Amino acid sequence: MKKEFFESDIGESYVKAELSSGLKIFILEKPQYTTSYAIFGTKYGSIDTAFSANGGEKVSVPEGIAHFLEHKLFESEDGDAFSKYAKTGAYANAFTSFDKTCYLFSCADKFYENLDILLTFVQSPYFTEQTVQKEQGIIGQEIKMYEDSPAWRVMFNMLMAMYHNHPVRIDIAGTTDSISKIDAELLYKCYNTFYSPSNMFICIAGNIDADKVLKVIEEKIKPQEPLEITRFFEQEPETVVKPYTEQKLAVAQPMFCFGFKEKTEKPQRSVKEKICSALLLEIIASDSSPLYKQLTNDGLINDEFSSEYFSGNGYCATIFEGESKNPAAVAEAIKNEVKRLKAEGIDKKLFSAIRCGMYGNAIRLFDSVEGIAMQLVDCAMNGSGLFDELKYLKSVTKEDVERRLELLDCENTVLSVINPMEEI
Amino acid sequence: MSGKILNLANGVEGLFIKNERFNTTLISCNLYLPLNKDTVAPYALLPFVLTSCSEKYPDFSRLNYKLNRLYGARLDASTEKYGDYQLLKMTISVINDRFCLDGESLINQATELLLGLIFEPRVENGAFFAEDINREKRKAIEHIKGEFSEKRIYAKNRLIEEMYKNERYGLHKCGTVEDVEKITGESLFKAWQTALSHAFVRFQVVGAALPPELFENISAKFSGITRADITLCKNSSPTAAADKPQEITELADVTQGKLVMGFSSEICGNDDVSLPLLVMCDIFGGGPYSRLFTNVREKMSLCYYCSASSVRQKGLLTVESGVETQNAKKAEEEILKQLDEVKKGNFTDFEFESSIKSICDSLKGYNDSLSTTDLWYAIKVNNDNLYSPTDIAEKVLKITREDVITAANGIELHTVYKLLPKEEKK
Repeated sequence: MKKEFFESDIGESYVKAELSSGLKIFILEKPQYTTSYAIFGTKYGSIDTAFSANGGEKVSVPEGIAHFLEHKLFESEDGDAFSKYAKTGAYANAFTSFDKTCYLFSCADKFYENLDILLTFVQSPYFTEQTVQKEQGIIGQEIKMYEDSPAWRVMFNMLMAMYHNHPVRIDIAGTTDSISKIDAELLYKCYNTFYSPSNMFICIAGNIDADKVLKVIEEKIKPQEPLEITRFFEQEPETVVKPYTEQKLAVAQPMFCFGFKEKTEKPQRSVKEKICSALLLEIIASDSSPLYKQLTNDGLINDEFSSEYFSGNGYCATIFEGESKNPAAVAEAIKNEVKRLKAEGIDKKLFSAIRCGMYGNAIRLFDSVEGIAMQLVDCAMNGSGLFDELKYLKSVTKEDVERRLELLDCENTVLSVINPMEEI
Repeated sequence: MSGKILNLANGVEGLFIKNERFNTTLISCNLYLPLNKDTVAPYALLPFVLTSCSEKYPDFSRLNYKLNRLYGARLDASTEKYGDYQLLKMTISVINDRFCLDGESLINQATELLLGLIFEPRVENGAFFAEDINREKRKAIEHIKGEFSEKRIYAKNRLIEEMYKNERYGLHKCGTVEDVEKITGESLFKAWQTALSHAFVRFQVVGAALPPELFENISAKFSGITRADITLCKNSSPTAAADKPQEITELADVTQGKLVMGFSSEICGNDDVSLPLLVMCDIFGGGPYSRLFTNVREKMSLCYYCSASSVRQKGLLTVESGVETQNAKKAEEEILKQLDEVKKGNFTDFEFESSIKSICDSLKGYNDSLSTTDLWYAIKVNNDNLYSPTDIAEKVLKITREDVITAANGIELHTVYKLLPKEEKK
């Protein structure tokens, strides 16, 4: 086992280890805490619909299969994982995103029993035609629930108008049609590729002993040769599909999602790129920005207004979303603010205040074992270090953020709107 | 971990909860007032107006700029129903001084800022400024109307409204759109004065150290205010059993229907009396081991979610589920059947023990979060004893199967509310 130890000047430290199978492990001890939070994840999400293993044949699978697999993995031949966790009292859950699937638990007592349950069930797939069929009913209802969620729809409508080919445009759970094509054999095929230890990671924070945890993990992980996975994505044009998209749903007032499509050259963004993007979003649209003040005073946004830097393997966008009686006016104001900042530069005092605020937030993150574990997942996904943000925030300059600002192209945007069905 | 309650003024308490594990300190101001049709909207608006500006920070951009300078100090406002009362909450949290790179005291500045917002608002001639009121009124109205967009929240609110018609608890936590529209600079000023003189008040600090002189400063702020007729936040009125359960079905342009069921519970009140309801509710529809999850979702595959929750101080139990029209009746019947099973004691030791373990494990973790700790003590003002989460975990361990069965037998169906897709109603 390879081991590395990292320390910060705020009194936190963590260990990063790698097993011979390629599994990466990140552990941060919080001896003063009562709880622990553990995540066992794989770099496998909804966008991984075409792939090959060890240079073999290219396989294409139905949309929504990563999420389906997440649901099914809880069942093993000897009962489901939830009933095992029920014996310990732990809280357990799982989620699938565009590029990863994570299984997690949080507990105050019986950490090692819970870790054993987690390591065992994620390594014990058990799919039969009968259990697959049952899940189609449950996931079918989950898909329908999201069809009614305007916050979900407004985002996916935007992605569909932004991306021509990239699978990020497809709903994470797939469609009722695509999940009907999923069977046990396909599930095993995906499992055997993406649940290989070399594609996986374990992230833990809490009241635990790192050495003991590493020993348990090393014993429990089945030895396996690292697997080379190739993911296939169709060529994605730099332009958007269409600049405007609209849907009617039962909402009280229009909701919007406005995004700038950006070029992507590498699968993951660096910490520096992420921090500059986060600072930029705060400078453009946080509640201390001139734009936020103007939009609020004009009655165009409310507390639902937010922004996000959205990126992953082959996709990257800067997104603003919220509710507004006039989404087009909000989008126009955001574009104008971007143009103004490009012309006039970023206000020095505002930059320094926002950087100070972000530094405080980065310290605050270490108050939550869940927050730390999720941040460690980011480290596992993009190869960064847990303290990189704290370090970089001390040295980042206004000019760094101004260079980042140049990447926002006001001619390559999408406005997605959900309008009410009728006047209410 | 719980501290001692100090009396800072008539009906004003200070509570310091020492907890050294955090990098942050949190200070909350909690105002408790009775829920009333006439006052619910102005009181609900108050925390939002007060935390948007003040005499010293006359607009929200300047205020938020200051919060950034305080290393991202976080200012939050909320209004919630707390049984038959309204809880107005204003909170500031800030990283501890040892992390500050330029040696300033962040905590002193943060506490001064919070007290300034509460006691020195931006007012003129006995009224708040129209621009501040109108901005926050618009946001409140959009919030109330916006709940329709999230059908799960909307359906639950409609159930409560129907279940508690003409009762305080039936009021929306922000009031109605019409109530909000009526608020003026003068009426809100009056609400601010009334709140400061009549509300029961609890200031709480969660963190490594009590900011020096904070409680003394609060006492001094209240010394100029005549405190009288203080809200007695003790027991809320229990939920009366329905003579005959009512059924309400409404239609909307949705794909999936929502089924929400409201039940009255004979067990009602604070932690000394109502813990059996907590456990019963969890066995019935809490975690993945519960009757509703294993039967309605897993065995019958009728829905993605089906869960129960309780408001113990009101004696209320609710079940929520997302179902298709053709399955709504089946799901409703199955939910009632599962309740009946719990009433008859037809639940296994495994289900019972799983519930106890899950509740206790999660209670033990409460001290690991600043905001959860703060909220825990803020909603315990109706208890005579200041129980910590660990105290309650110990009490839960003593709950027996018989206690659960008794609690279940006091549960009666009151109202069934369905929100169904338009085209499918036959």
